[in-house]
Formats: sequence, C-alpha cells, structure tokens
Amino acid sequence: MNVPYSYLDEQFANVDDYLEDVRKLVQSGDFTLGKPVTEFEERFAKLCGLPYAIGVGSGTDALILSLKMIGIGPCDEVITTPNTFISTVGAIAMVGARPVFVDNNQEYTIDVDKIEQAITSKTKAILPVHLTGCPADMPRIMDIAQRHKLLVIEDAAQAILAKIDGKHVGSWGETACFSLHPLKNLNVWGDGGVIVTRSAELCRKLRLFRNHGMSTRDEIEFFSHNSRLDSLQAVVGNRLIHEVGSITRQRIANAKRYDEAFRDLKEYIAVPPRHPNVQQVYHTYVIRVKSRDALLAYLLERGIKAKVHYPIPVHLQKAAAYLGYKKGDFPVCEQDCATIISLPVHQHLTDEQMSYVIESIWEFYSRRDIRKAQDEAFHTRR
Amino acid sequence: MRCLMNIPYVDLVEQHAPIKEKLLEAVSKVLDHGKFVLGEEVAEFEQRFARLCGVQYAVALNSGTDALILALRALGVGAGDEVITVSNSFVSSTSCIVCAGAKPVFVDVGGDYLIDPALIEKAITPRTKAILPVHWTGRPCDMAAIMAIAKKHKLFVIEDCAQAVSAEYHGQKVGSFADAGCFSLHPLKTLNACGDGGILTTNNKDLYETILALRDNGFYQRNACIYWSNNSRLDTIHAAMLLVKMDYLEEWTQNRRANVYFYQKYLQGLSQIQVPVEEKNIRAVYHTFIIQADRRDQLQAFLTEKGVGTKVHYAVPIHLQPVAKELRYKKGSLPATERQAGRVLSLPVAQSLQPEMLEYVVNSIRDFYQK
Repeated sequence: MNVPYSYLDEQFANVDDYLEDVRKLVQSGDFTLGKPVTEFEERFAKLCGLPYAIGVGSGTDALILSLKMIGIGPCDEVITTPNTFISTVGAIAMVGARPVFVDNNQEYTIDVDKIEQAITSKTKAILPVHLTGCPADMPRIMDIAQRHKLLVIEDAAQAILAKIDGKHVGSWGETACFSLHPLKNLNVWGDGGVIVTRSAELCRKLRLFRNHGMSTRDEIEFFSHNSRLDSLQAVVGNRLIHEVGSITRQRIANAKRYDEAFRDLKEYIAVPPRHPNVQQVYHTYVIRVKSRDALLAYLLERGIKAKVHYPIPVHLQKAAAYLGYKKGDFPVCEQDCATIISLPVHQHLTDEQMSYVIESIWEFYSRRDIRKAQDEAFHTRR
Repeated sequence: MRCLMNIPYVDLVEQHAPIKEKLLEAVSKVLDHGKFVLGEEVAEFEQRFARLCGVQYAVALNSGTDALILALRALGVGAGDEVITVSNSFVSSTSCIVCAGAKPVFVDVGGDYLIDPALIEKAITPRTKAILPVHWTGRPCDMAAIMAIAKKHKLFVIEDCAQAVSAEYHGQKVGSFADAGCFSLHPLKTLNACGDGGILTTNNKDLYETILALRDNGFYQRNACIYWSNNSRLDTIHAAMLLVKMDYLEEWTQNRRANVYFYQKYLQGLSQIQVPVEEKNIRAVYHTFIIQADRRDQLQAFLTEKGVGTKVHYAVPIHLQPVAKELRYKKGSLPATERQAGRVLSLPVAQSLQPEMLEYVVNSIRDFYQK
C-alpha cells in the first residue's frame, strides 16, 4: 500500500469549480491586489476572529514584513527556537537583527521557563513558533513580554485554527504570520502568506509595505519590496477557506487515532503531551521514537512517506555559524532531531491507510523485539 | 464631431481572451501533477527564457523587484556601498538598493529617458560598487559605454530589464551584457504572468547558484541552509501560463513596434510634442511609448474626455519623493529628469490595439493642439 505525504492530487481531483473561478479571473484581468484578495483577507480575518488580515507573497515574507513594521532592525535581538523551519530565523536575520535561541519543550514549542535567561538589554521581541500546529504557551509568553517590554510576533505558519482556551492563535502577538504554501492546512496553488493583526495602524503600514511603500500610484512613503498575495491564489483561497474547518477536524481525528494506537507502545514511542484546553491542528504529526532512522527506512520501504521536520536544527546550519552556537547548546532540540518522525496525517488518508501505518509501526517494533530476543538467545547459547 | 471611442491604456481582458483556453489547460496540467512550488514548468520556462536572452542561466523569481534585490545581495552589495542609477523609474529600481542596505546615487538622463553615460563617471566615489541602468520604456541603454566605465572602475553592472524583454542593443539581447539582468513578469508587462513574477538572467555560474539558494530560503539542498534569505519563487502555475505566452511574445512585440511606428509617422509633424525615435542598432520593445508634450496635463485631460486612456510615468521622480529626503537631493539636482517629469505622457501601445484606435489617438492629439 502507498501512503503518500502529499495529497494535492487528491485534494484538487475535482477541480472544475476552481478552474471556473480562475477562468473568471483571467477574463477580468484583475491580477494584482484585486477584489479576490480583499475578499480573502476579510474571510481570513473573520476565521481568526481578528479585525485585520493582509495577504502577502509568502509566510516568510509575513514574518519579515511584521518584524520590519514593528521596528525590529540592526542591533536588536529576537528570541526564538532552533527547532523550526529555517524561515523563522531567516526572517530575523533578513531585517538585520540577531536571532537568539531558546530550547524547545516536549511539545516542540519554545520552553517558556528558559526565555528570561536569554533576555538582554538588546532584546526587542519574542518570536514563538506554533510548530506542528501546536500553539506555544502564549499567556505565559505575553506575561514575560509585558514585564520586559518586548514585542511578540507569532509564527503561525503551521497553525491556522489552533486555539488556546478557545482563543485563536494571532490573538496575542502584535501580528501572527500564516503560510498558505501548498503543503499547509489552508493551501493555495503556489506561495502565499497572510498576516493578521488587531492594530489598524500596523495594518495600514503592512498594506503599504507589501506594495512598494506606495500610498498612491505617485507617492511613496517608504522604500520597500513588493510582496502581494496573487489574486489568482486568493481565488483558490476563497474556495478553500470554506473547507479549512473540516480539513482541520479530519486532521485532529487522524492524530487522535495515532495517539491512541501508540499508547501501548510507550516503550518505543513518546507522544507529546496533549492538553484539553488546547486545539492543535496537526499540520504535522510528530512523535519521538526509538531507532528513528531504522523506522524511517522501514516505513519508506513499505510505501509510507514519513518525514523528519527537521534533521538539522537551525543553530547548527551553516548560515548560523556566525552566531557562535555549537553542538550541545540546545539539548532537547538536538536530541529531537535524532528521534522525531513525522507521519502522514493529512485529511485524505483513508481508514485503511491509517491502519496500515499503525500496523507497520507495531510490526517494526515487535520484529525488533523478536530480533533482540534472538540476539540474546544467541549470546546465551554461546 | 467625431464619435467617441473607448481606448483603455491597457486591456488585459482583450489580451487574454484569445489564449484563455490554452492558459486554463496549462493550469489544469499543474493541478494534475500537484507540484505547485518549483515544478517542472518553472525549469522549462527558465531554460526557454535563458535561450531567448542568449544567456547561460535564468532563475525565475517572485517579482522583478526581488530579482533586483537578490542580484545586489548575491553580488555582495550592501551597507556602506553606493549604487549608481536613475531617478525616472518605477520606485523599485531604487528601493532594491535601499533594501539591500546600500545607498542610491542618481545620475541624470538623456533625451531618450535613459542614463546618460557621460555623467556616470562624475558620480563614482570610492564607495561605488555597482551601476544599475534601467532600460526604461523597453529601450536599451548604451551598454557599450556603461560596460566600458564599469570595467575601468571595477564596478558590477545590473541591468534593470523590467520593461525590456527581447530588446536588443547591437543585435544582442538586454539582460546578457552585465553581471545580471532583472526582468519583471508583472501583469502589465509585455510578457506577463497572471500575478507577480520576475526572472533573473546571468552568465555567471557562481551568481546563478547563489540566486538559486537565495530564492529558496537559502537552501542549497533540502536540509543545508547556506544563506539567510526569504523565499522568492515563481509559482509553477504562473510558469505554466508563461510558457503558453512565450509563443506569442515575438508577435506581440512586433505589434507594439508597429503601433509605435504608426505614432512616430503621424505625430512627427507636431511641434508641441517630442516623439522618441529609434536609433540604428537598437531594437526597443515599447513596454511604454512615452512622448513629451507641451501642456501635458491639459492634453491628458482632453484625451481622457475623448475616451483615450493615458498614463504619466511618473509625475514625481524618485529623488523628489518624500521617502528620498534622507538622500538629500533637491529640486534642480537632476534637471533633465525633472523637466521630463512635467512633460511625459504614455500613450496606449498594447499589442491588442486596432489601426482605427491608433488613428483615433493621433487625431485626438492633433485636435487638442489645433483648438
């Protein structure tokens, strides 16, 4: 059986409605910041329960624009985690600031207990990542931020519809940054991103910043790039946004099924802690396992496209060499890199596919036991 | 009185109508394979574009602005450096310099709206790192003179080809002279994506490989990040549609040139306006056709009333924008640029214009000055 990680062919198998919308767009020629973008922004803001949303070129750009517009720049330090997709950190470096890392906790989000010891006189902001779709502990992070007068930007690239106590991600920081990349829960047909904010002023500035800093066609308020969500992608997003609720429910259900199935494999598999007041949305389903590389190879061989997010932590990437971190600086994160595995969890998995994944993992560990027993028996005989 | 005609400045609807089915088919194919990011169509488009420009490499990006920013970054232009460019341009040929951390230094233009090579050397200081000429309106700059200056002073050159795809200087395509050529694929460009897009050309393998990493979050291979960077990729669906349009580019360009030829022929006699002429040895591609006109604002209002859409590119040059205050230019710093800003008017020139429309535009202009 084949259990693919990507599901885009299935998701867009019935594509005529989308194409009809694209046809209308092509007919209208309204390709840049047109009506579809405005509509999508309104819907997205509503979805997050926030007043403003700004469509941009990518999730990475959402971070860069947010950092710039809250005034982060050279000489500033921004605290974040090393276990993230590179662009969280890339965004900090791109605005000229210095990334400062704090290790992650068992839920793969920033370890709040370690934040304060990383704060210096240069610290300007905290950039928590809702990795895997699990929200970081925002109430406590905001507490620290307020005490030290720091700004907070939420990296919500993987976390659309994630909530704490019924409050959506994006409700805490100055902004929250979402990705609409084809592999995200709410995905478009190429690169795209969205920023949400509660601040009208920040929204105005972000709208200028994504469009060359132009207040009118002839007037430029500040120098900037362009980073616009294409109307074409907004057209796709406008359809998908109605489905993201059911997509999320299916992913949560799939994750639950895994959680339960692995309960009896505690010896080999550590499922991260789950909290009843937290809605995780499972952009990825990541667990810590024994003999990770062997399991990964075994699953791949059986047609199950498992992945590792990510094998090299950001602080040990070549691009981060100038920051002076070394192996051993973030023990939880580094150990995770050797033990985590991401199982397919998307909404198009069938019952059979899920059972197959679960059985394969059971089989891997039971066989391992048999092999181990055989080894031991062999040694005793000798 | 002649009856009114409606001639919009651009008509993307008209342009897309005849190729709509082909475009949708191309999109549909991408949906079938699901590789929305850096799919095969992107590589194919890059190869075809490189061939078109006569260069070794092309990298498809998220916008023309990004092409400029990444080119500067890849060449190591940054804080403390100066880059020489022009002020009569779309803002991004200057903002890319600021975004890269460097300082823009403006040089005035000639009667052809292009950087005046005779003024470049005076603007060179020990901090100058690069020259960024803009092939404004789709007309190539004097690349021989610019490259000679660059060689003498060991400067990089980045061609802003945003408006100039397929333009030629002495038979050689723009984007192939300098360290890098930066093209825009914005919907209003002649070769236009159905959204934002850009592409960078180069013959330098190192630069090419750096740009490949820079457009993809700094990744060299999937797990090895060698630079901090954003991502700036041309979407596969855009590439797929651009491949359809590549087949029409030469035809569209020739239509635009024919439109301009008509304007040149029938507007030449009017003493109140100056029409750009095409020197030997260049092929201009007329992303815009910009004339200089006495009483420009009244002429524009008159044409609008007549149903003729026109534009001003641009009324305020970049060095006089509020944002440029920190660069300390003032009125009078760039006399030719400033004089032109009060006189320039862009006439409709799109490939979809019909002969009777061109005639109507010419007659309307004549009517205005004969009133």
